[in-house]
Formats: sequence, C-alpha cells, structure tokens
Amino acid sequence: MSEVANSLIDGLVDDLKPVKALRPSMGLAVTALLSVATMTAVATLMGVRSDLAMGMADEMFFLRSGILLMLGFATAFTVMNMARPGVGQLSRGWVWALAAASLFPITAGIMSIINTPPVEALRPSQGVECLTVSILSALAIGSGMTTWLRQGAPTSPERAGWLVGIASGALGAAAYNIFCPFNDIYYIGLWFTLPVIISAGLGRLAVPKLIRW
Amino acid sequence: MIANEETLRHLMVKAQGGDKQCYSSLLMESEKWLRRYYARKINPAAIDDLVQETLISLHRKRASYDPTKAFLPWLAAIGRYRWIDSLRKIYRHDHDELYEEMVADPQEESVTAKVSLERLLGMIPEKQADVIAMVKIEGLSIAEAAEQTGQSESLVKVNIHRGLKKMSALIESE
Repeated sequence: MSEVANSLIDGLVDDLKPVKALRPSMGLAVTALLSVATMTAVATLMGVRSDLAMGMADEMFFLRSGILLMLGFATAFTVMNMARPGVGQLSRGWVWALAAASLFPITAGIMSIINTPPVEALRPSQGVECLTVSILSALAIGSGMTTWLRQGAPTSPERAGWLVGIASGALGAAAYNIFCPFNDIYYIGLWFTLPVIISAGLGRLAVPKLIRW
Repeated sequence: MIANEETLRHLMVKAQGGDKQCYSSLLMESEKWLRRYYARKINPAAIDDLVQETLISLHRKRASYDPTKAFLPWLAAIGRYRWIDSLRKIYRHDHDELYEEMVADPQEESVTAKVSLERLLGMIPEKQADVIAMVKIEGLSIAEAAEQTGQSESLVKVNIHRGLKKMSALIESE
C-alpha cells in the first residue's frame, strides 16, 4: 500500500465518529409530516370541499385521493431507499402506482375522443388555481425530501430527481384535493395530472445538483 | 487475500459505532478490494486517485450503509458512482506504463462478478461501450477513436455521453 494511501487511512480513522445508520423510514416520516402540514394549510387557508365537510364525500374524491397518496408514497419509498446505495437494490413498486394513476388521464383522453367535452368542463381558471396550489405544496414537500436525501448517498441523481418530483407532485396534488370540489373525469385527468408532470420535470432539473456527492 | 464478506460487514458495523481499530482494518481491506476492482477499468495512472476518492466517499457516507445488508454491494455501488464520475472528468491520458493484473480471489468471485464494472459496460450498446473504453480507459483521443470505429467525431462524443449516462442509471438496477 502506498504511503499516501496509508496516511489517508490514518487521517480518516482519526476523524471517525460514531454515526447512526440512515433509516429510510425517517425520510418517509418527513414526507408524511410535510404532506399533513400542506393538507392542513390548504384546509385552513382555502377550506375543505363541502361534501367532505358534511361527511358525505363523492366516490371520485376517494378514488382520486387514494391514487395520489399511493403514487406519492410508493415513489417516496423508492427514493428514500436510494439514500442507501447497493448493487441490485432498486425497488420498482412506484412504476405500478404510476401506471394506476395514469388511468385518470387515459380515461379522460378516451372520453374526450368519444364525446368532446365543452370548455366549461375543463374550468380553466379553477384549473390554474389547482395547478398553482398543487405545485406550491409539491415544492414544500419536495424540499423536505431533498434535504433528507442529501444525508444519504444516492448513486443515480437523475433518477432520484425524477422520483422526488413525481412523489412530491402527487402528494402536493393530494393536498389541494382536500379543497377541490370538482369530480368530473376531464377536470381530474387534466388538472391533477399536470402538477405531477411539471413537478417531475422540476425535480429532474433541480434535485440532481443538490444531491450529488 | 481480502477478508470475506461477513468479516467486512462486521468491521463496518463496528466502524459505524466509532471503533477505530475495526475501521482501520476495514479501510485497508477496502483499499485492496477497490484497487483490484478498478484494475483495467481506468487508466493505471488514475487508479491511486480514484481509490482514495472512493475511500473518502466511504468515510463521508458511512451512515448510508445498512448494517443488515452485505458490505461489498454497498462499497461497489459507491465505487461505481466514483468510477463513472471520474470517467466523466478524464479527457485524455498518454500514460502507457505497464501494470500488473490483479488475480481474483476465488472466494470473492461471485460477488465480484455481480458487481463488476465490466458487466456494467456490457449492459450498454456496444458502440457506446467501445468508445468509452477507448477514450476514457485506454486514453485514445476522440479523433483516434473515430478512426478506429468508423464513427464520426461528434458521434463518438455523443456515444460517450449517452453511455456514461446510461451506466449511471444502471448502478442500482443491476
């Protein structure tokens, strides 16, 4: 062994302090806490959709919430595990959640071909509000996830960027979903899909630079 | 001879707890393992630097080791990450020193095969792997690689870029 390597090893040994092994469950807890915080902020500042407030929410609300939360947490689970590298350890569960979530835009697309929806069904002004609040919530959740991920050693920063974006986009949309009163498939297919796509793109652009090591 | 997987795992768990003696042994074993791991996968003159950078990464990121899992796949994932990173930085080296081929330890063959860098190169399209090996590992210039492969110079550059990107995405999948 060369002298340089020996002195490097001596230096590293001198610098050794006990560390706690990273636990992805902590990263998931951070994600869950931020999701609850953004949902509370939406409920407090904007209100809760009236049928939910009365305890009689529409079935579409449950479908939409379930799909968004599943996509968000399945993806967050994968990305938090990326903090601990290892050869052959990639989890792909999030792909199935994404496939299930894509049923909303696909159904909306097919229905639009069969029966062109009126512009009112897309509600552009409320849609833009939906998009804005979802993206702001996604930014808050994504920042927390990225900060946690920085402690780890993700070896595929680009993939981690996409996944942080998808997870935080889905969870940000789930937060706005508490307020959003609309149930039609055209609206959901467009305005609940866009935040996930935009957030995924933002994650891909911003996150890799922040988590490289 | 390099210590076996179970010993390395035990040393790493102790090192996470702050045991300096175990850590010193672990770093020495890791140094040997990495030196062999990188042999022929990077210009020989760059091996020392790469091994040292990887040891520093091991130190900085030691909390990311999962004590319930095997040590070598973790070290290999860090090693691959640093390797691809260093390939990105290397443009041309004109070293043609001879270096000895390291002989693999039979007991480590299965792990080494699973995590080998060669396998990673084998998983990207041949045209990309060829030019990465020529330019980044053997130290040929872009023009020389273009002449040998019959690809245009800009295609060589594009293939190197795409190949490195693809390998970086493959680190954890395989």
